[in-house]
Amino acid sequence: MMKIERRYKRPALKREKEKVEELFKKATVKNLQLMRDVPSRCPGISYYEEIISQETREKELKEFSGKIVGSFCIFTPEELIYASGAIPVRLCAGFYDTISIAEGVLPRDICPLVKSSFGFKIAGCSFSELCDVAVVPTPCDPKKKMAEILSDYLPVWVLKISHDKDLFYSKELWLREIKIFKEKLENLTGNKITRKRLKEAIQLLHKRQAVFRRFHQIKRNNPQLINGRDTQLIIQSSFYDDIERWTETTEKLCEELKQRRINNDDQRVKLLLTGAPLIWPNFKLFNIIEQMEATVVTDELCSGTRHLYDPVEVDEWSEEGMLRAIANRYLLPSTCPCFIESDDRIDKLLQISQDFKVDGIIHHSLRLCQLYDMELNKVASVLKDKGIPFLSIHTDYSLEDVEQIKTRVEAFLEMIKSRKGKK
Amino acid sequence: MKVCGIDIGSVATKAVILSAGGEILSKGLCLTGANPKMAAEGLICKILEEAGMRREDLGYIVSTGYGRRSIEFGDKTVTEISCCANGARWIGSNLGEVRTVIDLGGQDMKVISLDENGDIADFVMNDKCAAGTGRFLELMANVLGVNLEDLGALSLRSKNLIEINSTCTVFAESEVISLIAQGKNKEDIIAGLHSSIALRIINLIRQVGEKEVIFFCGGGAKNKGIQKALEDKLGMPVYVPSEPQFVIAIGAALIGKESLKGRQKNE
Repeated sequence: MMKIERRYKRPALKREKEKVEELFKKATVKNLQLMRDVPSRCPGISYYEEIISQETREKELKEFSGKIVGSFCIFTPEELIYASGAIPVRLCAGFYDTISIAEGVLPRDICPLVKSSFGFKIAGCSFSELCDVAVVPTPCDPKKKMAEILSDYLPVWVLKISHDKDLFYSKELWLREIKIFKEKLENLTGNKITRKRLKEAIQLLHKRQAVFRRFHQIKRNNPQLINGRDTQLIIQSSFYDDIERWTETTEKLCEELKQRRINNDDQRVKLLLTGAPLIWPNFKLFNIIEQMEATVVTDELCSGTRHLYDPVEVDEWSEEGMLRAIANRYLLPSTCPCFIESDDRIDKLLQISQDFKVDGIIHHSLRLCQLYDMELNKVASVLKDKGIPFLSIHTDYSLEDVEQIKTRVEAFLEMIKSRKGKK
Repeated sequence: MKVCGIDIGSVATKAVILSAGGEILSKGLCLTGANPKMAAEGLICKILEEAGMRREDLGYIVSTGYGRRSIEFGDKTVTEISCCANGARWIGSNLGEVRTVIDLGGQDMKVISLDENGDIADFVMNDKCAAGTGRFLELMANVLGVNLEDLGALSLRSKNLIEINSTCTVFAESEVISLIAQGKNKEDIIAGLHSSIALRIINLIRQVGEKEVIFFCGGGAKNKGIQKALEDKLGMPVYVPSEPQFVIAIGAALIGKESLKGRQKNE
């Protein structure tokens, strides 16, 4: 693990804080309005709406006396952060209006996610402003290089990811990164991560995973109980919410969902969404899909289900055993395209398609996210060969192509319905 | 009862009226302009009048194309992809099974792959930029000082095609301007432009897999130069119907015919 120490320093850009805050509020309100505008919406969502709107949670975090650790990607082990007494906050952003600000420092032709996240830091607003340190894993080049540039603004720790997760020395290297990460957290917080604290943190996250898996199972049995957008809202509020409160609230939600009776005529097309992350407030694709006769019943997104699904599986509750289990949890189940082979991801897509009996798959290609783009051809051809309708949507955070995307999605639904009609 | 299909495209609006037997009774075309609703309304009135019919004679109206939701008098909206597949399958039925449909429109291009039953198996469209579409041709014709309609014939006269590297409208324009400045032959430049469009289309075709019979429609299919460039590069015949711009509107009308049957059955 690397801490960036620079010989050449330069002043951090600071600009447009108020404007960004205002635009973010606008985008949030607009999306929430679109999401409320559905017949028989699942109740109990207002809690998550408040968390995703950020303001309330920002206030709470400002009052928190401990350390706050900003994280990128789903490779950053949250267990260790909690064990050190700090709080993790995921900084990946899906906001269009911070992109042009970031372009004051970053090049135009890199992925919008990196630019959007970084733009928040330049604007000096949102959660990135509250963080004592940012942890940047290195799945792709833009994230890796962003690490150095970000260190103009706050301390940055880099978690190095090997791109072949099954090699034994990749696992060893990753374990070492995790161990150094633990030490750094101890130094930052002044708290020793004891065996007991580590165990408690693992159990804390186990609780969250168990509740999420329960939610996932309820959805699997009855996919129309709650739509894809609300599901994403629930998942993404966990990026920065108080973990215990989120877990309790979601437990209650599961109870409500189980009691929920809906008119289950099942006419809506059931879709699986995969590809590059779709992070609040970039819910464009979800909104387009679900404003038509379709529901995103599940996803294979690092901004979605993958963030919460896999638990740390401990064989031996020794310090070494727990650290190993944590390292494995963040590396092995990952289907990130940063790994050389895409077969794990294809297996997963086939499995989820079957589990949720989906009618088709939509692949979100984020413009300039080369890794997902590189995998697309193979993933698409394997899934199509298995007879699963597959549509790729190539887009970014801007809204200018909404109409074109609508036509593609609508045609895709027509295609699926006409095939189903003839079966 | 008669049915009407109206295709409100980004450049032109096309409408067709079919008899219950599937015979084309009337059809027309106008520029869409800034008010798709007015264009569509006006066009339907016009083709009704030309055929000596009244609005009440139409049992079902299907609207499609980019402006499909802008009209209020339609019974149903269907995407241009489904309509295009329907129209091509019907018009091309005398050719055998149409399996690949290319549509070159004003601001987009699409390729649709049909399965052995004639259902859509897959489709691809160009991304959000208008490179290599009708708009692109319009601009290039302008730069070259020739009529859009003459591009095809001119390019067929070319003996020495000049490779144009760019299909980006802005870059291609400057590339063409510099070729003109170098005193290059117009015919050869145009042939080069057509070749670069054909390459873009073929890139889309390769994504869904090329299968014969290949059917080429949309306003761009009126250009014989693009048809030839496609055939040369694919090494397969590419079929263009007599009025390629009406394929989607006809497809929409055919969907209307089916929907009308369904409605009458229910009544």
